[in-house]
Amino acid sequence: MERRYVKALALAVALAVAAAVAVPAATQGAGEPPRDASALLRAVVDNLRGGPLWGTYTFVVERPGRTAEYVMEVVTDGDERGLIRIVAPPREAGQAFLMDGNDLWLYNARLGRSLRLPPSGRSNAFLGSDVSYNDMVGRDLETDYTAAFAPPGAAERDGAGVDIVLELTPRPGAPTPYGRALVGVEEARLIPRWVDYYDQRGQVVKRLTLAEYLEAGDWRVPTHMVVEDATREGYRTVVRLTDVELDAAVPEACFALQALERGCR
Amino acid sequence: MTEAAPALPPAPAAPLVRLAWRNLWRHRQRTILLLAVVAYVTFLTIFYWSFVDGYGESVVESYARYIVAPVRIAADAWYEDPDPEHHLPDQPLLSMLADVPGVRGASARIHFPALLQSAYVTQGAEVVGVDPAGERRLSRIPDKVAEGRWLEGPGEVVLGQEVARRIDARVGEHVVLSAGALAGPQAMGLQVVGIARTGVAAVDQTAVIVHLEDARRLTGVPTATTIALDVARGTEAAVAERVQALLPAGVTARGVWDLVGPIKADVEANQAFAHVLALVVYAFAALAVTSTVFVSVMERTRELGVIAALGVTPRRLGLLVTLEAFFTCALGWLGGLALGYAAAWALATYNILGPLFAAISASMPTAGLSEEVYGAVRTAYVAYSGMVIAAAVVMSALVPGRRAARLRPAAAMRAE
Repeated sequence: MERRYVKALALAVALAVAAAVAVPAATQGAGEPPRDASALLRAVVDNLRGGPLWGTYTFVVERPGRTAEYVMEVVTDGDERGLIRIVAPPREAGQAFLMDGNDLWLYNARLGRSLRLPPSGRSNAFLGSDVSYNDMVGRDLETDYTAAFAPPGAAERDGAGVDIVLELTPRPGAPTPYGRALVGVEEARLIPRWVDYYDQRGQVVKRLTLAEYLEAGDWRVPTHMVVEDATREGYRTVVRLTDVELDAAVPEACFALQALERGCR
Repeated sequence: MTEAAPALPPAPAAPLVRLAWRNLWRHRQRTILLLAVVAYVTFLTIFYWSFVDGYGESVVESYARYIVAPVRIAADAWYEDPDPEHHLPDQPLLSMLADVPGVRGASARIHFPALLQSAYVTQGAEVVGVDPAGERRLSRIPDKVAEGRWLEGPGEVVLGQEVARRIDARVGEHVVLSAGALAGPQAMGLQVVGIARTGVAAVDQTAVIVHLEDARRLTGVPTATTIALDVARGTEAAVAERVQALLPAGVTARGVWDLVGPIKADVEANQAFAHVLALVVYAFAALAVTSTVFVSVMERTRELGVIAALGVTPRRLGLLVTLEAFFTCALGWLGGLALGYAAAWALATYNILGPLFAAISASMPTAGLSEEVYGAVRTAYVAYSGMVIAAAVVMSALVPGRRAARLRPAAAMRAE
């Protein structure tokens, strides 16, 4: 009787120890979110950028009473470099933009010249849309802000699938005009569902909504993005990413100045 | 053969002077009217020149204290093309300037174009990097910070009132400045610590002022693009010349008058126009005095006829009228001088004209006008107004005096 009792106790202890070892290993393998907000932000930005890719962006710029559509080819290393070449409408076709860290170059096909833009140009409207260069390429969310887990109720919206909200505060001296940014994150896949930029008076001035993630291997990339100017009613840009090649081989030549004029494919 | 009558000795002038003086107070109303006209003309002349000179000085002064500097040192290439890459050479210029007579202070500045961005708007800006302490001695802008405070250290920015309004930035908020540096593009976030309201449209609409260290980081300029010197008003050109002797080749010191650019032509054109206008005013003023004397002679035809009948020669009668005009003009002139200089002093002491020019300043941002427009006080105004009155006296001698001299006593005494 006593021997059976000891055996049962030993088995229970062994099972408990095994469970204690096995459960964390299992959850880690399933992609448990990092406990550190900065690490979580890094993972989120990875999935926002989607790694090295080729694709086609279609911008529909909506303004009160009118819309305009732009089609452009994009190639990015998924990090800080990206090349965008406009293919439609014909009036804008041939223009190209090269982003490499803080460097931003614009190629004007009519002038046949490349112009270097200042780094704050990265926050400016791209082609008169509501999208900035930062929304498409680069890791400014990581470099310009300090991340923390937002307290419950901090966000004005939650949205489907959002489990965690990251609160981003500008680093001292960082070149961002925003007071803070909130990022709604889907915990299971570590993908951003939305990003809200606030002014320094606590008002939302810009909203990004991200959806329809394409997944390939370890990479995920949103193929549908809506950017709204929250300060002006009816100002909105819908971005679609199509013909995507995720985890693609991207040659270095794509990020050289010559690629602005000639492309790299 | 008749004997020639002996020539009469010339009549003494003193009785005529006494008669002229008495005549003034015999016709008190007429005299007071003429005195008032002359005093008014004198007052107007002084007031006019005080305003014209004061306006020019105020424009240049506001340019010196708000927009450029009393004396500026920069590389010749920078004057041609004010790009940060044409900065001053790496030499201890500031310490060299300390001993130059007339230099009360010197401060380095970096001027550079940049993009200024708030959460709502991005716009181009001409930014100036300054040493906050040095700037206090040189510029009036630090004292015109209406909200917040003046710069104290790096990481801060002071904006002109209109700049802040356009980008919707408030004290305590952050803005982003980015510029093309010598070493590549740079950007930084800066806290708005002050908003300046100077009344100088060129400042309020464009001022973006940062710490010199931040300007160096943004531009990559290791020294400065200009050195601004604080010198006494009126000594700018002389001090610039003295400083020039110490400067290396390719670096030039210029006084404010050589820095005002198109304003110089504007001020000079205003001065030229003022002279033309003054001549017209002088002519009308002299005419007003002369016509008053003329009317007086007309009214006194009978009286002057009686005086002529008593044996006063035509020449002396003309002289009598001219003397009366002279006395009245002299008295009126002295009274006008007192009134005119009192008004000029008031214009020079109190900012009476400033509010009138506030609206003009807003519509002429390049003029550098400020809310403060003071009059000038110069001794030359005595001569200016004296010339007008002298011209009036001469015209009185020519027209009313001649009419009096030509009176025929018999006809004059019958006049109504």
